[in-house]
Amino acid sequence: MSARKRFARVDWPVFLLVLGLCGVGLLNVYSGTRVLPSPGIPLFFKQIVWILLGVGVFLLLCFMGGGLIEEWAPHLFLAAVAILLFVLLAGKIRGGAQRWLSLGFFNVQPSEFAKIALVLALARYFSGRYTYEGIGFRDLLPALGITLVPFLLVALQPDLGTAGVFLIILAAMMMIACLRLRVFLLVGAAGAALVPGLWFVMKDYQKQRVLTFLDPGRDPLGAGYHVIQSKIAVGSGGVFGKGYLRGTQGSLRFLPEQHTDFAFAIFSEEWGFAGSVVLLLLFLALVYRMFYLASQSQDRFASFACGGIASYFLAHIVINIAMVCGLFPVVGIPLPFVSYGGSSMLTNMISLGILANLSRTRFTFQPGE
Amino acid sequence: MKERIRKREQDPWIASRIRILQGIGLALFFLLLGRLYWLQVVKYEELRTLSENNRIRIRVVRAPRGVILDRRGRPVAETQASFDLIVTPVDVKAIEEELQLLSEVLELDAGEIREKIIRGQDANPYRSITIARDLRFEQLSVIEFNREALPGFSVQVEAKRSYPLGPEFAHVLGYVGEASEQELAAGQGRRLLLGDIVGKYGLEKARDDVLRGVNGGRQVEVDAAGRDKRLVTEVPPRTGATVQTTIDADIQKVAYEAMEKKAGTVIAMDPKTGDILAFVSMPAFNPNSFSQGIRKNEWAALVANPRTPLQNKGLQGTYAPGSTVKPFLALTALEMGVQNPNARVLCEGSFTLGNRTFRCWKEKGHGMVDMYKAIVQSCDVYFYTLGLKLDPDRLASLERGAGLGVLTGVELPGEKSGLIPDTYWKQEVMKGRWYSYESVLLGIGQGAIHVTPLGMLSSYAAIATGGQVMRPRLVSRVVHGDGTAQDLPPVVERDLSWNPANVAFIRRTLAGVVNDYGTGGAARLPGVEVGGKTGTAQIVTVKGKMIKSEDLPYDIRDHAWFVGFAPVPDPEICVVVMVEHGGHGGSAAAPVVKAVMQEYFRRKQVDGKGGGA
Repeated sequence: MSARKRFARVDWPVFLLVLGLCGVGLLNVYSGTRVLPSPGIPLFFKQIVWILLGVGVFLLLCFMGGGLIEEWAPHLFLAAVAILLFVLLAGKIRGGAQRWLSLGFFNVQPSEFAKIALVLALARYFSGRYTYEGIGFRDLLPALGITLVPFLLVALQPDLGTAGVFLIILAAMMMIACLRLRVFLLVGAAGAALVPGLWFVMKDYQKQRVLTFLDPGRDPLGAGYHVIQSKIAVGSGGVFGKGYLRGTQGSLRFLPEQHTDFAFAIFSEEWGFAGSVVLLLLFLALVYRMFYLASQSQDRFASFACGGIASYFLAHIVINIAMVCGLFPVVGIPLPFVSYGGSSMLTNMISLGILANLSRTRFTFQPGE
Repeated sequence: MKERIRKREQDPWIASRIRILQGIGLALFFLLLGRLYWLQVVKYEELRTLSENNRIRIRVVRAPRGVILDRRGRPVAETQASFDLIVTPVDVKAIEEELQLLSEVLELDAGEIREKIIRGQDANPYRSITIARDLRFEQLSVIEFNREALPGFSVQVEAKRSYPLGPEFAHVLGYVGEASEQELAAGQGRRLLLGDIVGKYGLEKARDDVLRGVNGGRQVEVDAAGRDKRLVTEVPPRTGATVQTTIDADIQKVAYEAMEKKAGTVIAMDPKTGDILAFVSMPAFNPNSFSQGIRKNEWAALVANPRTPLQNKGLQGTYAPGSTVKPFLALTALEMGVQNPNARVLCEGSFTLGNRTFRCWKEKGHGMVDMYKAIVQSCDVYFYTLGLKLDPDRLASLERGAGLGVLTGVELPGEKSGLIPDTYWKQEVMKGRWYSYESVLLGIGQGAIHVTPLGMLSSYAAIATGGQVMRPRLVSRVVHGDGTAQDLPPVVERDLSWNPANVAFIRRTLAGVVNDYGTGGAARLPGVEVGGKTGTAQIVTVKGKMIKSEDLPYDIRDHAWFVGFAPVPDPEICVVVMVEHGGHGGSAAAPVVKAVMQEYFRRKQVDGKGGGA
């Protein structure tokens, strides 16, 4: 295959939007980390390496042959579950929460990768069961099972935020796969009924976590304080912002996790409402393009997988920005491409690579292999 | 690839459902835009002002520690109000001038205060930290007077730990102090903050997780001088759990007073439940000194004291058991059928094995002694011969079963096990073979053997119950802040299958020690039959001569033991006393046991029925 043909496979709108977002993120990581004491390589340079690695992975996945992803979906899922289990057990032995898997030179957060694995597994499952009449209750149970396994493993870490994203992925994909409305409502009602039951199973500290989760004011020393400071950072940016590198909340180290989960606070303090609108439009364009590709695909698996990936991005973007603005409890969900973080960057690039790869099915009529 | 039916066409239905998701996404984006508009355009002025002044501060409100009660519900550890000096690092302006003023007022080292502020700054510059606790009135006045010169500093009322009975409870309750670096690092999951008070020793440490409670906090807006202007939010702290102990403060007091000016330990236990009724280690210290940070010279004096006040001698000190071990040789002999209790041995004041001579404490000898008389009179020669007869491994296994030389499982930190030598130990640890003289020495509890007083108590409690070994229990109930109570029932550690007739015989001989002109006459109580055994743990042997221990210099005087129980037919209290360098058990230790038991039975009479809560 010639190079021209190869590059024709890259979805250029997605690629260019991602490069733009990475650029914004990189500038922001510089602003957010320049005041932090950081031993070793500055996080700014590390982020450059992550972006380059991510772009490489993205292109590699774009060039990969069709069909492979679908074939590997179940294996990927099993591998992700195994790693989550390992992390959980290793954490139990060491005592305390364990979300990271140390690979020596860097740490990875397996729950990030598990999101992709879940999307692919669900896409594979739903594409096999899809009918025009919609999916009934009996066909739904296995999908619930597929989601609950990683959900529980991550919830036990305990990382309720990420676990929640799994449920959002499931809900979005159920919708795309056309769950009958009756079943959709039934499952929703059952889920709502389970919540109080869950309360009695939870340990004391987990209850505290959830209460703080619902009402940050309960924990004025930690999360509650962060929300107030974060709102001050965003609001004090005004219409045009304080100017790049002129943010005060960030440079005074007011904000927790200011280069990761609260990166958007730094950005909007320095770039103001105008900058925030531009960033939101970039994100909106990306998500729209992703949903568009999902809807155009001629292959069920590709449609479901792309739709799932798009929903997962949408959830991350909305939850993170809502959290920074004080509209949502503080959970550890990063803003794609803008927050610092290797696991998150790689996961996002892999997802988009898969999306770009699968979206080719909208052009080619592939005979059954 | 698997054969699968695919619908090779765009699916308009899927596309339309995806458009619904797109619509949801668009709505959410508009919601975010609206929120950003609200914060950045509408609320801009207000938030901008807040950001320019950075006026929000966090004041930690520390949780009061839970109360500790004695078995009758009287508080033995409680909290009192304390005026503490706190500082918010970010508001500190001219640090060196402030430090100079403060170090004069607080009598603290300026460098120490600076160190604290810097550590707080690194943790979170907007969160208050405690600089000094429990300020005196004149210190408060000086600080209030110099308010303007001390931006960032303020006085806050906090709870401090207080022990109304002071040193009497030093080793049982332990003490508290500021969490160390290591404790902070290990306590991340428990939300331990810089300057939090944690249990450092004794029950305070063992039960720290329930006693500590959960910190609360206030977010306040401050003015330019760092003074509180407006409360933003507040969460009250949650007090720690109430812990009910098994200790009886009255008995504890008597035990403490009986041991005054002595070094050693007294432990009283209910043999049936394992409830510790009193636990004193001497010399003691004042745990109140630690609550607000102990002064350096006071700490140095405690550490330098040769009688080791910081050590709990009841479970961290190990001593040769001396003659207190004799009943276990007798019991082993009976259980194994090695010696008839009526068989008599001639004591002429010494025993010779090869070219070594072992003396009896009675120079003239006891004459013909049987097992009963040998224990009552504590005849050494009888037990030299018996020790030689017994298989050391069988003896060790019975002693360990009873609780000697093993951990009792008490929940106080730092318990030691001691050692019961056997042939395996000799071979593996000492790399040597077992010599018969070792068996001879073991007959009178000397040689390599060493045990803790708590282990000794546990073993006599086993004789008292006839073979049921209870785990010593210090906490009977924990009542959490939300009112839920947790009862901690007695725990049976081991059930030994001793022949009841043999144990009854041993109990009878122990009653004889006290009541039949034996060595323990000083423990006799009117109206209650006390049984027990004296012991004298040799430190040095003085060749050739018999010197009264009391005539030796303190450091090489013998340790004195007495361990006993009452009433003999159905024991309900078991007491061990160990007086370091006290001389003879009969004269130094037995009267203390008597005093403790007397108080126990007096209390029981006062209460009419039952001795406890």
